[in-house]
Amino acid sequence: MSTPPDQPRREESAGLMEYSTESLVPFGPIHPALKEPEYFKLVLEGERIVNVIPRIGYVHRGLEKAAESRPWVQNMYMFERTCGICSFVHSLCYGQAVEELTLYQVPRRAKYIRTIIAEMERIHSHLLWVGLMGHWAGFDTLFMWVWNDREVVLDLVEAIAGNRVHKSMNAFCGVRRDMPENMEDRIVERMKFLTDRARYYKEVIDTEETMLARTENIGRVSADTVEKLCAVGPMARYVGLKRDVRLNDPYAAYDEVPLDVITTTEGDVHALLKLRLDELIVSANMVTYAVENLPDGPIRVKVPPIIPAGEHSSHCEAPRGEIFYYVKSTGGRTPDRVKSRQPTMANLPTALELLKGQTLADIPIVLTAIDPCFGCMDRMSFYDTETNKRWTWSGEELRQYGINYYFPERSKKPHGLKKIGDQSSDSCLMEGF
Amino acid sequence: MSETLAQLGKYAEEIGTKVSPLRKNESVIEVSQERLKPFIAHVVNDLYIRHLMTITGLDLGQNLGIIYHFSKERDTIHVRTSIPKSKPEAVSIIDLVPGAILYEMELHDMFGIEFIGNPWKERKLLLPEDWPADLPPPLLKTTKADQIRKRLGLEVAKP
Repeated sequence: MSTPPDQPRREESAGLMEYSTESLVPFGPIHPALKEPEYFKLVLEGERIVNVIPRIGYVHRGLEKAAESRPWVQNMYMFERTCGICSFVHSLCYGQAVEELTLYQVPRRAKYIRTIIAEMERIHSHLLWVGLMGHWAGFDTLFMWVWNDREVVLDLVEAIAGNRVHKSMNAFCGVRRDMPENMEDRIVERMKFLTDRARYYKEVIDTEETMLARTENIGRVSADTVEKLCAVGPMARYVGLKRDVRLNDPYAAYDEVPLDVITTTEGDVHALLKLRLDELIVSANMVTYAVENLPDGPIRVKVPPIIPAGEHSSHCEAPRGEIFYYVKSTGGRTPDRVKSRQPTMANLPTALELLKGQTLADIPIVLTAIDPCFGCMDRMSFYDTETNKRWTWSGEELRQYGINYYFPERSKKPHGLKKIGDQSSDSCLMEGF
Repeated sequence: MSETLAQLGKYAEEIGTKVSPLRKNESVIEVSQERLKPFIAHVVNDLYIRHLMTITGLDLGQNLGIIYHFSKERDTIHVRTSIPKSKPEAVSIIDLVPGAILYEMELHDMFGIEFIGNPWKERKLLLPEDWPADLPPPLLKTTKADQIRKRLGLEVAKP
């Protein structure tokens, strides 16, 4: 990334033909069944990727502009809709930036409840990711087990907040709902269950040859590169950088709840899998501690709808890494400016660096490794400049290609390539995904 | 105040700029556009504050504001600079902080700021490639949502 290379485009692809071994592969965009659609132009040399050019923004909804015309409180629930997986932490981060502008303090009990929900969200996000890694690697049993366990934590979130995904728990200087009574034992028991499951999955990942073949020595990058490209969250921690907002700039109750920041220096996708499972165990311990030591008191302070003039920023550790919010008020009923930055944006340069040198078969694994909201690789079209041949693969076909590449004996039937114009109507959505 | 922020304050005093503390571990520094590059070089190379959280663009009426948010462990610094709206050109810092490339592209899309030295500065990142050239950048205060909808042939929202 430090020296972005030439910019081969479709119309410039004639230039590529001089180097007969390179092909340009437009990659995406795809539909947002579960993950965000993104678009990459890949330059291939045989099987190896030599360059990647990103093109994002297919699900850009103009939230920052929309925030300027909405009341302060309404924005909190709008920004919660930024992501369908880590939703709570967005409202938390925006809320914290606004709370800094007011003179009110958040009650201690509310801080603990925020910590509990944020950590449960991390558990469910990490489980979702581990399952997806299993799916893309061709180990669907892991995917089904893990997603079944994910229901356990989603049920707990539903019991506390009333919703599974968009919790709408936050308010300025507090939370909207108190913890239900008699939940303590249930939460502690479920957290212990999830800890045991995470330990078991670690064992599976270390011994199961499918996962080992697909993840070991894939996606290596140096710590210096990661630091220069400003990666955040697990993507920074898996090369040994101790970058965690919960540790560096504690918010909510993270200064009181014991935190163990996991880092590893192995630096491949296999290490990343174990790192996220370890983080899951840490999160489960934190939830247990927070539930057992939940202080009494009010859960909310009422804040007037007009926020004093000023500007402030806040950052939080979302499951995917640091998120950042900047708010500016001119003393009115609506913000003057809100800036939000999500972890995938910060990790994208690192993901592009990771892809270089990998094979076509590793794309699903490497792209899913950064835990992006893109990865749904439906309708990937290929363009070979040498022979002017075009073809399209769906995400499922790409997944199958990756599996066949590594485990040729498993391929039951050859996956033919579809020609453009010959696209069947099935999409990821119809795969039940 | 931490050692890093104290060192930063000392350096800012030397070059004649002002450091204003925001929170316990947070400082805001105003730097002119000409001095920005050497200042960020000092921050990144000498003080080893290497993590750029993001770059924020602001519409300040006559000027456009750019804030670089850096962090290192417990410390956060906000480097503020501004450029005239009539000539929206800023210096690119990607040779010092390679991770800034996408943030600069985002600001180019949203505020029309041209970052001199960014090799991908002409490329669209968030806006569609067929974004009409006669539409102003969307995040400027003078640009209204209805104006964009009308130009793109979309239904204008009823009040």
